[in-house]
Amino acid sequence: MNNAVIKSKEITLLEILDRVLDKGVVISGDIVISVADVDLIYLGLKVLLSSVETIEKLRGSPFVGPMQEAR
Amino acid sequence: MVENQQLVYLYCVADKEPKINGLGNILYSIYHNSLYAVAGRVEQLEFGEEGLKKKMADFEWVKTRAGLHEKIIERVMSDTNVIPFKFATLFNTDDSLKAMLEQYGQEFKAILRKLANKQEWGLKIYCNPEKLKTRFLNSQEKISEIEDEIKTSSVGKGYFLKKKKEQLIERILNDRINECGRESFELLKELSFEARINRLLPKDVTEREDDMILNSAFLVDRDEVDDFQNMIDTLKVHYESKGFLLDCTGPWPPYNFCGLLGRKGQNE
Repeated sequence: MNNAVIKSKEITLLEILDRVLDKGVVISGDIVISVADVDLIYLGLKVLLSSVETIEKLRGSPFVGPMQEAR
Repeated sequence: MVENQQLVYLYCVADKEPKINGLGNILYSIYHNSLYAVAGRVEQLEFGEEGLKKKMADFEWVKTRAGLHEKIIERVMSDTNVIPFKFATLFNTDDSLKAMLEQYGQEFKAILRKLANKQEWGLKIYCNPEKLKTRFLNSQEKISEIEDEIKTSSVGKGYFLKKKKEQLIERILNDRINECGRESFELLKELSFEARINRLLPKDVTEREDDMILNSAFLVDRDEVDDFQNMIDTLKVHYESKGFLLDCTGPWPPYNFCGLLGRKGQNE
């Protein structure tokens, strides 16, 4: 395995926002706090993330067509 | 289980008994419906609705807790397949967690089968548009031609020629950025089981001076990881000399590839 791409030990703010807080399985049902509620209280984080869409609009959509969503 | 003071925090679901030695004082596993849930008890004061609202505004707290969330899942995934859950997935009791494992059992098992023997890798690409411009400005004949024409033109004509030049520069810039992002993504996608493009993140999140131009994630078969990394190296050699920076990280818990299919609004 190539050492050049091994992840650094400390997780960055970037990866926290991009993965731990933004992705992962979301379930509903008998949970204490619905995830929708949690989303609403991301406060500062939510503000940061909403500015992303603005940037993308300004830039124009760089990748259109088949690359747009690979879900 | 009375424990009004505590809640059950779910980190991940695994298909084999997770090894959580060393984390035993904060973690335990629940076996139900042939699945293992890795959970921990947290204080109602911190994670109850009121508490969490306050805590989410405390960035240091979020960073520490999210870092722990990640560390725990990474430990578990070192010897089993995992479905990572979103930060702060909370239950009142072990029984309510078991009920969830019952309800979603079939889907979780299907996801775990899909994830078997695979790793998530991430690629983010950055560039500084201004620096990129200076790289190609001198080498573009069309631009030099317009510049020569501007020198011999009237003020009015010069104005429009300058505008034309700027548009041309923007177009070339966009082409370069698109080419780098598209080619990198497509080539890596071919070596992956699944791939997806995520939204671009702003500088206050990336903490970098350059702009993010691609944010992508790949689910790679373990047998293909070497090829995948060789391709990353090739792309780095090619594009870093052209003013781009490629940041490849992994292996990650498969945050991007465990959506519950057919359920609206899940994992999006």
